[in-house]
Amino acid sequence: MSETSRRNFMAAAGAGAAATTAVALSAGSAQAKPAALSGKGAKESVVALIDDHKGATVRLLVGENEVIVHDRDLVTRILNAAGGK
Amino acid sequence: MSSHREAPEISKDPAADSTDVYAFMHPTEDDQVVIIANFYPLQQPNGGPNFYEFADDVLYEINISNTNKCQPDVTYRFNFRTEIRNPSFLYNTGQITSLDAPEWNRPQTYNVVRLEKMGRRNEKAVQIGGRFPVPPVNVGPRSTPNYEDLANSAITTVGPRKFFAGQRTDAFFVDLGSIFDLGALRPFNGAHLLPMAAMDGINSVQSYNCHTIAIQVPRSDLVKGGNPTLSFKDRKNTIGVWATASRRNARIFEDKSGTYKGAGPKKQVSRLGNPLFNEVLVPMTQKDKWNTTEPKNDSDYADTVLQPELQTLLPFLYPGVFPNLEAYDKPRADLAAILLTGIPGGVVNDADGKSIFQNYTGPVQADMLRLNTAIKPTDPESDSYSIYGVVGGDIGGFPNGRRLEDDVVGISLRAVAGATIPLVDPDYTPDETAAQLRDGTSYTGDPLLSDFPFLAHPGGGYQTTPGTSTFEDPAS
Repeated sequence: MSETSRRNFMAAAGAGAAATTAVALSAGSAQAKPAALSGKGAKESVVALIDDHKGATVRLLVGENEVIVHDRDLVTRILNAAGGK
Repeated sequence: MSSHREAPEISKDPAADSTDVYAFMHPTEDDQVVIIANFYPLQQPNGGPNFYEFADDVLYEINISNTNKCQPDVTYRFNFRTEIRNPSFLYNTGQITSLDAPEWNRPQTYNVVRLEKMGRRNEKAVQIGGRFPVPPVNVGPRSTPNYEDLANSAITTVGPRKFFAGQRTDAFFVDLGSIFDLGALRPFNGAHLLPMAAMDGINSVQSYNCHTIAIQVPRSDLVKGGNPTLSFKDRKNTIGVWATASRRNARIFEDKSGTYKGAGPKKQVSRLGNPLFNEVLVPMTQKDKWNTTEPKNDSDYADTVLQPELQTLLPFLYPGVFPNLEAYDKPRADLAAILLTGIPGGVVNDADGKSIFQNYTGPVQADMLRLNTAIKPTDPESDSYSIYGVVGGDIGGFPNGRRLEDDVVGISLRAVAGATIPLVDPDYTPDETAAQLRDGTSYTGDPLLSDFPFLAHPGGGYQTTPGTSTFEDPAS
């Protein structure tokens, strides 16, 4: 994971400077096929916000837009990554 | 203050803090409306080397409602851009004698977009212009000589519209030091629960600057359908005005550059219509939320208007002075009319009982500064002119819009103290002091200008002498 993307996810989880452990997002999804970046993928910093850790919603802030993603699996993976697991 | 640092969150974000909104008919140019929105409170003029400026990452807006929905039907949107011209650490490396002077290291420009609601869902956006100049702050006579000419050269005229954005002397006046010391009004010090010697008020805003966005536009720009009429009774002539500031949803600190970068859409962080609404009426726990909401949802805050906390504090802080107010237990329909719906026709009448004023915008409760654009401005030299506005018998002043000279602190104190209850409850007799309440301050800055943008030029850094303060008890 690049330094840039790791910082984005740390910011999303409110982990801040204390979260210095490198985390692999693929944990828990070892069987999944690696995702490929599509042509429409964001090409700038992205902030991911999860307001409800029990929910399935991730708010992605990119540029001047907000993208709402409903994906419990993605939420779980981000939460696990933010928790260092 | 009117809305200077009025809520916990926005008090930490001064560049986005809306402090005052004024709306009035141009005193000499027919059918021209002037709207002024001030931001960035309490600027000490000598606050260099990083002097005050609009924030590039804040969206500033002046909103106008011209229907009974109390939504932004017309919006003027302002985006700022800051340039750095040379590598000096200084704001200026020589005299700034023109807006394009290379010696000015940190000029700002802005663009203006006018948005107009078209039907229920559509909106028309027209870019009025870009790279409009912002004048430099008033550094001092060596750096910014002939400041008046320099600042005036930043007034931009586009057809029948004028725009100005830049530093000005704050026109608001209030005795903060006394009012927030347990509601004390210095002229009434002797009647306070903790009495002291009476004295004149002290204008706490004296010598401070702010950053102003001012527009002067034909009222056809603002009134529904673009065709205002001459009758004050015609409801379409009344507009509701408020200012907002918005920031990106998230800020990311870029440690490589030491700067912040925004992410996500802009979210409203500051709002202001009537002076003192959020500051004096909304409880501490709701002030931050209020700043993010739209006027059309202000029924959520109606209880704070109908039963204002200050109404119960006045009789407690001034024992025996407000017996009628203390006994009054009805909801304050007068304050709701002034602040939330506008004043209907038939409430403010002349000596013959004939209605002379209304600025009612319908039943939707919304904090907006309501201006009836069909009412001609009052000549300041005439007997009917009063800095106490409608409360003082002058329908050309607050709460019919707001002029720079209006004593909104005095008006608000008198209204809350019960002076306006008879407008809706003729059986009520106000306490004798209600109609005399004031904090004893007046505007003490340089003279206001007689033409656009009306606010006085900002005080200069070199010309500023720090005020005085002491920890000692004045009574000891």
